[in-house]
Amino acid sequence: MLLSAQNISKAFGSFLAVRGADLAVAEGEIIGLIGPNGAGKSTFFNCLAGDTVPTTGRVLFDGIDVTRASAEAHARAGIGRTFQVPATFEDMTVLENVMVGAFLRHHHRGAARETALRIVEMTGLTRQSAQRARSLGTPGRKRLEIARVLATGPRLMLLDEALAGLTPTELQQAIALVRRIHELGITLVIVEHIMEVIMTLAQRVLVFNQGHVIAHGKPREVVANEAVIEAYLGRGHRRRRREAS
Amino acid sequence: MKWSLPALAALLLFYPFILTGPFYWDIGVAFLLAAISASAWNIVGGYAGQVSVGHSMFFGVGAYTPLLFYHLWGLPPVAGVPAGMLVSLALAVAIGMPTFRLQGHYFSMATIAVAELIRIFVGTWDLVGAAIGLQGPAVGRAWWDLTFRSELPYYYIFLAVLAVVLYTTFEVERSRFGYYLRAIKAGERAARSLGVPVRATKLKALMLSAVFTSVAGSLYSIKTGFIDPESGFGILVSVQMVIVAALGGAATLFGPLIGALLLVPLQTATNTWFGGGGSGLTYILYGGIIVLLARFEPGGMHEWWQHVAPRLMRRSHAA
Amino acid sequence: MLLAQVIVGGLLLGAIYALFSSGLTLIWGMMNFINFAHGEFVMLGMYVALLVVVWLGGGPATFGFAAAFALFVLGVIVYASLIRHVMRGPMLAQILSTFGLALLLRYTAFWIFSANFVSLPQVSLSGTLNVGGILMPVPQLVAGVAAIALTLGLHLLLTRTTVGSQLLAVAEDRNAAMLMGIRPDRMQALAWGLAAGSAGIAGALMAVSYPWSPSVGETFGLTAFVVVTLGGFGSVPGAMYAGLIIGLIQALSAYWLGPIYKDIVVYALFAALLWLRPQGLMGKA
Ligand SMILES: Nc1ncnc2c1ncn2[C@@H]1O[C@H](COP(=O)(O)OP(=O)(O)OP(=O)(O)O)[C@@H](O)[C@H]1O
Ligand SMILES: [Mg+2]
Repeated sequence: MLLSAQNISKAFGSFLAVRGADLAVAEGEIIGLIGPNGAGKSTFFNCLAGDTVPTTGRVLFDGIDVTRASAEAHARAGIGRTFQVPATFEDMTVLENVMVGAFLRHHHRGAARETALRIVEMTGLTRQSAQRARSLGTPGRKRLEIARVLATGPRLMLLDEALAGLTPTELQQAIALVRRIHELGITLVIVEHIMEVIMTLAQRVLVFNQGHVIAHGKPREVVANEAVIEAYLGRGHRRRRREAS
Repeated sequence: MKWSLPALAALLLFYPFILTGPFYWDIGVAFLLAAISASAWNIVGGYAGQVSVGHSMFFGVGAYTPLLFYHLWGLPPVAGVPAGMLVSLALAVAIGMPTFRLQGHYFSMATIAVAELIRIFVGTWDLVGAAIGLQGPAVGRAWWDLTFRSELPYYYIFLAVLAVVLYTTFEVERSRFGYYLRAIKAGERAARSLGVPVRATKLKALMLSAVFTSVAGSLYSIKTGFIDPESGFGILVSVQMVIVAALGGAATLFGPLIGALLLVPLQTATNTWFGGGGSGLTYILYGGIIVLLARFEPGGMHEWWQHVAPRLMRRSHAA
Repeated sequence: MLLAQVIVGGLLLGAIYALFSSGLTLIWGMMNFINFAHGEFVMLGMYVALLVVVWLGGGPATFGFAAAFALFVLGVIVYASLIRHVMRGPMLAQILSTFGLALLLRYTAFWIFSANFVSLPQVSLSGTLNVGGILMPVPQLVAGVAAIALTLGLHLLLTRTTVGSQLLAVAEDRNAAMLMGIRPDRMQALAWGLAAGSAGIAGALMAVSYPWSPSVGETFGLTAFVVVTLGGFGSVPGAMYAGLIIGLIQALSAYWLGPIYKDIVVYALFAALLWLRPQGLMGKA
């Protein structure tokens, strides 16, 4: 297993956002993570990426315990992640944003720049590469986040709703981009509300609800699962409103 | 644009021959010192976005050690410069290690409190002259005492130091370290997720900044041959660094130069208008400038120019 | 006996530290914002008290109220004209805004009132009270007790009233509060008014017993930093205990080591705290 998270819980005060979640990811997989708003998906990601230390459980990456390691150590080990609310470096240009990522594996500016240019091209940001990140819209920012992480040379990428809020054409491009990333040999875990994305990309799906993993399996099986339908219908109206916005 | 750098260098090199006489040379030296200190501050306060309002602690340490070396052991003041750098380095570590774990405002608060602690403490410490301060050699024993009657040698010494500080900043800007500083300033959490060692990078910036600020302090005390708690560790020393950098444009290479270019003549003018006793008015003016900058143009003149220049260009094209 | 008197004196002064520090901690708790001009608010409160006594006459109730009111208004103005515009801007603007304001207020006070120390003319409060051999000057006693009462009042206002819960709701989650129909801008303006007002009245209370000059603002501002750090950022009860502790430490170090050491000891305590428990004694990690 490339990544194995066992019995992860995260408490905020007395509230448990994640309750005993398990996840095992083999090298080369694409795993989908779904669940209604507030189910604990992002919090779970934060635990996997070293952004917070889980209250219980442990995370093994490539057999090494990284539970308490810092976020920068996670990045160095090869776990990259995007943020649900894009956190691009607003005053830096698109290329400079990507170079920050590239500097993880390259100490020299020239080498980092070369890698960054290649990734900017691959992610379709070449035209905007000299613009400041603040001038991009949300879709551009999300793509920049992916590019930046890609530049760190990760083995595993955690994408938190990186494909949300795109137009149908943009969505198709983004799906193609994820495929290309996967072809590079990078393992992916993606959180998405858009079922189309999950159905086309994911080989296995985990469903979160109220902090628990309530189902997992092949995409087809999971969408037919009673508990999953139940979880979604309970809060379905909120989801639809959110996708509309 | 291509010619602006050589033009600037030439201007600074020949300034003493363009505007001659002690009055203008004095202003030139004051300008250089302000630019050096503000450039030093800029590394941590500008690029890294960790706003120190107590940088006088490094300036003061750098200012005291040369005169202390002379006072205690009769050594030439320059001999104390490296010692000042080392003490400032240690001080930077002592402050950075605990505060960089916490949020931004905490660092600012800690810097001003520690600077004040040191100022009061030095004011009661007899070894370093307590409230009276220290004096350098009245008459130079040899050239290495660096006591010149003319301002001119100081001008060129300061200019050389400024060149070193600016060149270092230029290299920092282009290096991985510089990119990391800007990333940290823009968002620590995102920087961390890309493998930026946030605390270590901030600490490195503070250390570099502290060393340069210390050198600025040394230059000051060697030139004036006198230092006391207020002129070394006083809050106004910190204020000047912040205001010069912010006025010109924090986190830009030449911002501190522009800031010094505006502020130092202004300071000379207000001192003449208001007289020595009315120096309070100068500080009212400083406070006012800082508030207005924060409110309307935190990017300083540099940013302002970037808004204004395109508009001017368009107008001149239209005409 | 002398020691007991020193302790009581320290606690009474510490009560006033508690009062003005609770204003600073309130702003921090609500907005994650450090006000570098907070000490200057205290200093202005002292001058407001002086002006009211000289021009209008009247006792501590009058000038205390006047100082609180004047500074409340100033706090709201500062928020509306300055803080509101910088609080989500770059860090440099956040820090510089109140730092510049501090300089502006301090040196304007220098310019108007000169650097000389002044004190309130004899007011109706005077005399000493002898409690079991401990001599307590009435002005300090009244001021200390009033300061504790006001700090508790502020705490109750925050925890027991509708306005207080609205303030805390904004502190907790600005957007959620907005959804509940609370206008965060108003609440934050109110917080600045309360913070400055409590600093103003604390200044007026101190003016009764101690002479001052425009530079005291700097010292009080730093004292408030130390108190807030010790008490845990954002906690009014924390600020109250910490204020009393700092007052006590100052009095004892002045007594044992000499008056010039009282500030050094407090700032050194701050430096130690920085290393050992930056989240404060009462604060959570
Ligand atoms: N820092 C925090 N402090 C307190 N509660 C938090 C914090 N972060 C998240 N929560 C709570 O934990 C729960 C899970 O949040 P999380 O963001 O992980 O959900 P999610 O599945 O990612 O939802 P969404 O689909 O809306 O992104 C929510 O109820 C949220 O309010
Ligand atoms: Mg989420």
